[in-house]
Amino acid sequence: MSGSGTVRLEGLTKRYGETAVVDGIDLEIPSGEFFTVLGPSGCGKTTTLRMIAGFEHPDEGAVLLDGADVTRTPAHKRNVNTVFQSYALFPHRTVEENIAFGLRYKRCGRDETRRRVGAAMELVRLGELGARKPSQLSGGQQQRVALARALVLEPPVLLLDEPLGALDARLRVDLQVELKRIQEQLEVTFVYVTHDQDEALTMSDRVAVMRAGRIEQCGTPRDLYEAPATAFVANFLGAANLIPVASRAHDGGAALSLGRFELRSETATPPDGDAVAMIRPEYVRLEPQGGSGENRLPGMVEEVVYLGFHQTVSIRLATGALVRADVPNDGDAPEYEQGDAVTVHLRAQNLRVLATDGAPAPDPEPAPTPTP
Amino acid sequence: MRGGRHRGLALVTWVYIVWSIVPVLLAIRFAFNEGRSRSASQGWSLRWFTEDPNLSVLNDPTLRSALEQSLTLAAAAMLIATPLGVALALGLQRWRGRGEGTANRLTLLPLVTPELVFAVGLFLLFTTAFSFIGLGTTAQIIGHVTFSVSFVVVIVRGRLQTIGADVEEAAADLGAPPWDVLRRVVLPLLTPAIVASLLIVFALSIDDFVVSQYLASGADTTTVPMRIYAQARAAPTPALNALASLMLAVSLLALGLAYMTLRLMTRGERRTGSESALGQLATLETGGTSR
Repeated sequence: MSGSGTVRLEGLTKRYGETAVVDGIDLEIPSGEFFTVLGPSGCGKTTTLRMIAGFEHPDEGAVLLDGADVTRTPAHKRNVNTVFQSYALFPHRTVEENIAFGLRYKRCGRDETRRRVGAAMELVRLGELGARKPSQLSGGQQQRVALARALVLEPPVLLLDEPLGALDARLRVDLQVELKRIQEQLEVTFVYVTHDQDEALTMSDRVAVMRAGRIEQCGTPRDLYEAPATAFVANFLGAANLIPVASRAHDGGAALSLGRFELRSETATPPDGDAVAMIRPEYVRLEPQGGSGENRLPGMVEEVVYLGFHQTVSIRLATGALVRADVPNDGDAPEYEQGDAVTVHLRAQNLRVLATDGAPAPDPEPAPTPTP
Repeated sequence: MRGGRHRGLALVTWVYIVWSIVPVLLAIRFAFNEGRSRSASQGWSLRWFTEDPNLSVLNDPTLRSALEQSLTLAAAAMLIATPLGVALALGLQRWRGRGEGTANRLTLLPLVTPELVFAVGLFLLFTTAFSFIGLGTTAQIIGHVTFSVSFVVVIVRGRLQTIGADVEEAAADLGAPPWDVLRRVVLPLLTPAIVASLLIVFALSIDDFVVSQYLASGADTTTVPMRIYAQARAAPTPALNALASLMLAVSLLALGLAYMTLRLMTRGERRTGSESALGQLATLETGGTSR
């Protein structure tokens, strides 16, 4: 199956009335990649997936599968299969009949059908449930049937629309591992849509973060987390401290002014003028009051939340900005209390400068958890 | 204390059941009367069903033809209105864009139009614009189909909503061309709604008086309700009760069959699914026949 299964989107646009829900998306997904489209609800990620599947027709742009333009090809003639958020199993058919449904259109004989259904059930570890009706299965089992029903057709590209969205947290983690195993075993291209950053980080080779119909940033999970291009990406993937600053290029990095304080960042090509300084809470170092040196600011502890493996400390800087620090519980971490005066160290290599991009007002709280 | 309150509720329930069932039972009782009276017990017999050589349902040609006409209309209406209604429901469900809302509301209009207005309209239609059809059995069938289609649409669209568009998309996604999506997925899932529709249309048609009356062309297009109405003011005999009892039996049989079919068909399905289909059927049945 390797060699086939590339997906290419060119200027893909879909409008409902005046609003473009998908606004000119260009993407190239190579064969065998686990590609995730991540974004809040309403960002156009599901519509994008549905255009690849053929359920929606783009107003502009093209969908190419293995180099062939399939923009006008109806869903039942496209060589991709979909796993739906709702599973969309056929309630009047048994598990085996559900899985065998598509094989009829692959002109499979009875013996081959039986063999492939058996293999697919084994792949997703469905055991002896073949004669059951979907209603007699648990959510996780139904999810496996939906997966087997799509994979049995050996599609070069599998589309997954929030497939774990309806499952409880424990099961999600198990199935994440399993999805990744199946994807690697079959070398199928997965295009995976989710609003869950953990899912995106855990499984993906590459992630595209979508916002308002556009791709905000596309890269490996590590790229996105450690070098977010925009405040939106920084906030959506993990927690981020976003501090408004004035920025100018200086000495291969950036010099930032924050009130009467000066900070240095190692961001190579910083924006000029108004910008946002971003640092992850786990990179923020707390030092005893009165510490001096580069990128050190005085502040006062406002709130401490003890979470066992770390404590989350909110510090009000002298400039008025609120900064969150995650202090790991490494056995001898100091206990902070409200009102403690501390020095906050924002290390230059961890401090990134982002352009202000009309993102929501910088928010020192943890990233909002979007609902599907 | 609690027991007392429960006894009170049970009492009210039983009073209600007796109140609604006793008149029916009494009517059935006099269908089996030996004598001519429709109000005094006079022994038991099948005289008014089959035995009386002139006045029984079997041997009185007017009663027998009324029964035949009613069953003919009901069967024809059921077999025409159900496929039409299913097709209309599928079409309306998929219609997106200009005119969608208007079409939706127009489909439901017959449900709220007073039947008399509806019947007069049809009468005018068949005596003027469609005078080549004219009054009679064909007009009566068309009339019955026209008002029952809305019920079919309501039932089938309800079911379509429960099924959801995603199973259709899933079928297409797995390679099924549109006709196969309909045949292998949509229609099987619609079966409970289709059975319910057949039954409702049958019940609506067999119960109908106003439309049948307006579109009738003479003695041979007289239906059971029309016959009972006419004869009740002339010289009623227990044969009328016998006729009504037969109608009741036919309706109950249809209900029973539909219930059994649904039970068997939705056995493997989610419990709530089959129960809601049955519940839907029950509400529409009661709402339908009280028109």
